Amino acid sequence: MRTHLLLPVSLAISCLCLSWISGLASLPPRELLGIAPEDENFYKSDVIKCKDGSKKFTKQQLNDDFCDCLDGTDEPGTSACPEGKFYCRNPGHIPQMIYSSRVNDGICDCCDGSDEYKGNVNCPNTCWEAGKAVCEKLKKKIATHQDGLVIRKREVEKAKQAFAKDEEELSKLKSEEKILKGLVDKLREHKEQIEKAEEEERLKEEEEKKQRDAERQSTEQNKSLEESPLDHSEGTHDTLLETTSQLDKMDIGHESVDQLEKEYNSGIDIPADHTVGQVVDDHHNFIRSDHGSDDTSAELPSGLSTDQEKGSESADGLSREELGRLVASRWTGEHSMKETNEPDDAKEEEHEQHEQNQDSSDSVEEESYDSDIDDDRHKFDDDDFEDEADEEYGEDHVEPDGSYDPDKDYSSELSDLTPSGSSSWVDKIQQTIQNILQAFNFFKSPVDISEASRIKKEYNDANSKLSKLRSRISSLTEKLKHDFGKDKEFYSFYDRCFENKQNKYVYKVCPFKKASQVEDHSTTQLGNWEKFDESYRVMQFSNGDRCWNGPDRSLKVRLRCGVKDELADVDEPSRCEYVAILSTPIVCLEDKLKELQQKLEDLNKSQPSKHDEL
Amino acid sequence: MGRLNRRSPDALIFLIFLVFLASLTSAWKKDEFRSCRQTPFCKRARGRAPNSLPSFSVADVSLSDGAVSARLVPAPTLRQVTDDDPSAADGDDASSRSLLLRLSVYRGGILRLEIDEDPSSAPTTKRRFRLPDVLLPNLDDLRLWLSRLSPDGASATSFYLADGFEGVLRHDPFQIVVRRAGSGGEPVLSLNSHGLFDFEQLRAKKDDENWEENFRSHTDSRPHGPQSISFDVSFHGADFVYGIPEHASTSLSLRPTRGPGVDESEPYRLFNLDVFEYLHDSPFGIYGSIPFMLSHGTRSTSGFFWLNAAEMQIDVLAPGWDDPAAPNAGRVDTFWMSEAGVVDAFFFVGPGPKDVLRQYASVTGTQAMPQEFAVAYHQCRWNYRDEEDVAAVDAGFDEHDIPYDVLWLDIDHADGKRYFTWDRVLFPHPEEMQNKLAAKGRHMVTIVDPHIKRDDSFYLHKEATEKGYYVKDASGKDFDGWCWPGSSSYPDMLNPEIREWWAEKFSLKEYVGSTPSLYIWNDMNEPSVFNGPEVTMPRDAIHMGGVEHRELHNAYGYYFHMATSNGLLKRGNGKDRPFVLSRAIFAGSQRYGAIWTGDNSADWDHLRVSVPMILNLGLAGMSFSGADVGGFFGNPENDLLVRWYQLGAYYPFFRAHAHHDTKRREPWLFGEQNTALMREAIHTRYSLLPYYYTLFREAAVTGIPVMRPLWLEFPSDKETYDNGEAFLVGSSLLVHGIYEKDQKSASVYLPSGASWFNLRNGVKFDGGVSHKLAVSEDSIPSFQRAGTIIPRKDRFRRSSTQMVNDPYTLVIALNGSLAAEGELYIDDGKSYDFEQGAYIHRRFIFADRKLTSIDIRPSNVGDKKFSTDCTVERIILLGLPSGAKKAVVEPGNHETNIELGPLTLRRASPPVALTIRKPNVRVADDWSLRIL
Repeated sequence: MRTHLLLPVSLAISCLCLSWISGLASLPPRELLGIAPEDENFYKSDVIKCKDGSKKFTKQQLNDDFCDCLDGTDEPGTSACPEGKFYCRNPGHIPQMIYSSRVNDGICDCCDGSDEYKGNVNCPNTCWEAGKAVCEKLKKKIATHQDGLVIRKREVEKAKQAFAKDEEELSKLKSEEKILKGLVDKLREHKEQIEKAEEEERLKEEEEKKQRDAERQSTEQNKSLEESPLDHSEGTHDTLLETTSQLDKMDIGHESVDQLEKEYNSGIDIPADHTVGQVVDDHHNFIRSDHGSDDTSAELPSGLSTDQEKGSESADGLSREELGRLVASRWTGEHSMKETNEPDDAKEEEHEQHEQNQDSSDSVEEESYDSDIDDDRHKFDDDDFEDEADEEYGEDHVEPDGSYDPDKDYSSELSDLTPSGSSSWVDKIQQTIQNILQAFNFFKSPVDISEASRIKKEYNDANSKLSKLRSRISSLTEKLKHDFGKDKEFYSFYDRCFENKQNKYVYKVCPFKKASQVEDHSTTQLGNWEKFDESYRVMQFSNGDRCWNGPDRSLKVRLRCGVKDELADVDEPSRCEYVAILSTPIVCLEDKLKELQQKLEDLNKSQPSKHDEL
Repeated sequence: MGRLNRRSPDALIFLIFLVFLASLTSAWKKDEFRSCRQTPFCKRARGRAPNSLPSFSVADVSLSDGAVSARLVPAPTLRQVTDDDPSAADGDDASSRSLLLRLSVYRGGILRLEIDEDPSSAPTTKRRFRLPDVLLPNLDDLRLWLSRLSPDGASATSFYLADGFEGVLRHDPFQIVVRRAGSGGEPVLSLNSHGLFDFEQLRAKKDDENWEENFRSHTDSRPHGPQSISFDVSFHGADFVYGIPEHASTSLSLRPTRGPGVDESEPYRLFNLDVFEYLHDSPFGIYGSIPFMLSHGTRSTSGFFWLNAAEMQIDVLAPGWDDPAAPNAGRVDTFWMSEAGVVDAFFFVGPGPKDVLRQYASVTGTQAMPQEFAVAYHQCRWNYRDEEDVAAVDAGFDEHDIPYDVLWLDIDHADGKRYFTWDRVLFPHPEEMQNKLAAKGRHMVTIVDPHIKRDDSFYLHKEATEKGYYVKDASGKDFDGWCWPGSSSYPDMLNPEIREWWAEKFSLKEYVGSTPSLYIWNDMNEPSVFNGPEVTMPRDAIHMGGVEHRELHNAYGYYFHMATSNGLLKRGNGKDRPFVLSRAIFAGSQRYGAIWTGDNSADWDHLRVSVPMILNLGLAGMSFSGADVGGFFGNPENDLLVRWYQLGAYYPFFRAHAHHDTKRREPWLFGEQNTALMREAIHTRYSLLPYYYTLFREAAVTGIPVMRPLWLEFPSDKETYDNGEAFLVGSSLLVHGIYEKDQKSASVYLPSGASWFNLRNGVKFDGGVSHKLAVSEDSIPSFQRAGTIIPRKDRFRRSSTQMVNDPYTLVIALNGSLAAEGELYIDDGKSYDFEQGAYIHRRFIFADRKLTSIDIRPSNVGDKKFSTDCTVERIILLGLPSGAKKAVVEPGNHETNIELGPLTLRRASPPVALTIRKPNVRVADDWSLRIL
């Protein structure tokens, strides 16, 4: 903890050291223009090789404003080679390589102004301010990474344990399943024998009864014979129904019965959905393949088609306004016909939406001001967004409200299955059943009703336990087959969801499962879990609900280091292609920390040496 | 955010079935647009056989005011009764009234024919509409004063037209012939040589008549009844005809629409329409109409222009259309039909292709000289959503070192599609945003469409309503149509006062949030009216002076473009050249800015069709045109997008654009390899900017387009006449597109009479031969013609603005006698100072191993001067036998080295051409350079 406190202090001191910088850096000689210090030796000789090996050039040709090497080797300090790079020393800041296209183009690119040496424009040296800001930013980032790393280690440890625990549970469950299955088989055998015996008795009674009836009512015999096949089938059906209802009755009292059913149903549902999804996919592909040359909507007979696609035929009956909306909708893809709102209403909603985006992005902008240290980065690159996480630095690591722990559900639901205490429930059941089976006398006739029902009950109990067990096994297997990262560091994400509210939409991201956009009571699937991408920096969800006239929805969640788990900045840069940022300590990595520290060190190091020179 | 469209599984299966059915039929909503058969005037005119009509004869021929004037007297026979034309049955005076004819001659080989009704015998107060403001205001200065008529036997009158050409008016039946002078002179052009001339004169409506026309749910009240005109025009000595844009066609020449061997088809329709997902090959009308056709053959090139903005339908008649037994050879017959207006037609005698283009340009004007930035690359999307998006896209170009000059904002930037306003939530600081771009030398374009939201709190609507500036509907109320903002009205751009008012709206004061680096895009100006007949304005809507919309429909967008362009001109006090892109066009639009081919689709066919479309636009005067790179609708595959950039980099107007339902398409989103390919394509354009700018100057002076069909430069090479796959940029650069996926080789025809240097590897190819070339993904075939010099700038910047001081590269391709020539035009790229002589115009001549730069700027063009310190850093010599080691530059007598160098500065470009290192001569100076 001591070192932890000391580091930021020392950083602050070293940043202060940067504070004095000379005004304009004087122009280095031609043969040094745009050359990085580590390359200076390379350019020392009289005849120099192009780095790509294509040819050689003389020292006179170095920076003579004529491109000899197509890779730019001979013109590091001019704009003559399109492929060249210019090195800015940027004392007080981090040195930078810029495209040769920026050299003497009248725009200040390097903070030391060295890229504009022809005097087209006067570039003030801004390295000191920029360097200071970068230094501050780096400090924050480093602090975030350090704290994040601590949390990460804890999380990884937990994840490893949880993973091991689940694996252990799975193997245990599997062996229990084996035993239980044996028992169930035995019980079934008994049960079937009992039922057989009962059936025989019943048939016998029936036969006797029939004989009596036949004697009494010989006239009705024919009719009853005709009906018998029907009876038979109905009888079978009844038996089935009876069994089911018996099952139901027996399970009353078991707290898990609803859960069980749910699981069972959901077990069915998933593949069913999947099938439908595939059909939809095929359908979409079909549409897409025809897009451009063939319009899918134009020729749909009216009445059979979707609203926009009613097309020409039905347009005649429309009011002028409806017709206008209909035609407009071809370009916009909006549901013009159903929309009674003025177009402005939708706009207003968008506004609110944007207002919110604006707010959050403003803060980002402030924070990332002067972030010249990084290359120009794309908007969604993690670096720019890590700053936001920095703001929350210091707060405790809190579970987001939206997350839940399904393990709890499991434990309550399977309380009787979960291994608790020293002697396993399986052993107990085994014991009980053994006793019952031994006690049962098969050769007693008629069958002992109470014993028979006890066997049946035990069978049903054991069978339902077996299916619960299997469902648990399958859900565990399903879970464990995922890729949780090198250290299983994402293991805890499996049972968690992250939420972000933007205006009327709530975005819900459940790693390894799916992501959705909820608006009031309607839910739009943004995608099903696909995979990690970019070495665990991106979570990819794909094949979400289809967009009208667009692709299937998809979501890319970019992970960045932060001290707490938080979903932010959900955006839709391209129609129906969503992106979001999730900050989490899980991706606070040692290497990145070292890199940042190195950067800071470089920044500090460059300074004193400059001082010496000056 | 996109929303979900849920469907039940049953519906889904049904839909799959329907989609299957739909996929068998066409995309385009054909039913929404009228075919010729559904258009009474077209159906009637097209149904006639040649010489079946009672003819007109010429009477009272005289010279008046230096022009030929005469009366056209209808034959006294009863006109045939037809179901479509009941009026003709009763001997109405309309069919017995004579018409007035006037023939005037203009300098340079132009004959003008005007035919209108005789106002002295008019039965109604309505006068036929003559379209103002299209012909150049000083056209009359070019008129030749005819001093005598020559009787050509008793049956005709002939008169002087141009050196070697004469005009002939045949008396009975009436016919106009342009022919080569001298006895038995060959005809070049003729009108009514097949007796199809018809002129429906205005007349009073009878009580029992119903003039209404119905199309789908729309009724056209047609208060003035039938008034169509039709006639045949023959192009003698022609193999093919071209022009009359705008149509989507894979063919460069106009294919026959009627006659032997032609399946039942439609005539070429000229009617400006906003067609959703237009077909890539169809004679139907799209956004623009230029009723100018030119013909070309081994013996003759000529042109015909009918100044008329009403709906027009034009048949190109296949040989044998009139008599299958005796198909005409060496002649193309055409048939022109229009719903209204007058005959005001121009015959252009040629005789060369460029002569015809100059003649047409002297009537309708040349391409306005664009600002230099506008010739560079434009980045557009519907829509760059907000200021952050704009900043991110702008930064993306810098990050990937890809130059661009203009970022575009589509309809969603405005507050509820109220143009001239900003959605202040998305764009809270428009000036700051524009200034940030301007600091990098970049510009911005916003869209301003003609539909004005009917919202009483919108100042523009309030003002237009109060001043009565809107087009009226047939009942006299402000016309109310549906477009992007919902209920909208349309300013009456025919009225010069309203155009002035509109122009004022672009001042920096009135257009709040605009800055001097903001330019304008006019879309939807056909005009597009979503709930109107054929998605446009009803024909019976009323403009200034009671002019019906039908009479000027095709020119509405032209007037709108004109008013906007003048607005930008005013904004800059007449000093800043406007940039306005328009979708709708008419003859003369070239004077007001650039145009593009509208909402194309991201498929290979649309890539292919872009070339013949742009070529035909260029022939019809529109030099500054292009197609949306990538295709507007749909998502292009990576290779299609790359090929499109490679081709689009040579379009005169080079802009990428995409529909809002498509995936983001900025050039760096498709992997490093594709980014590099697209960057290189864009670099190619930037390096050729000096050449393009010089060509724009040529277009502005002469009317010769920037992008040219091969036959324009090789008029006697028959192989080129119908080549729509390759084109020339200027006269020196030949480009052949790659129009198929995974194409591994291309058959490229190089015109005869010249050799060609492949610009990839410097290899020389013979002309007059079709070469089978291997195609790689990194470029499309491009060649420099031997005997030419192309100026380039091979350094790349963020935008063209920063290239202004960069040095030049000259690429010299020597012909068989080791000679070559080329030009370079430079000015400030922005202002009109060039009109006072502030420009540099050099001709480079290479002969006898010596390159000389001479000044070709005339001394009498004005006092203003333009100067630059730019030098020539490199001269590449193709076709010079190797061995040269040094060159001497005069003045100064300094030596410079010659070595083997690459053709471009791209990585791994092989050293294949002799290169003169650093001659460092100033482009503004006279100098010469001798190879030792």
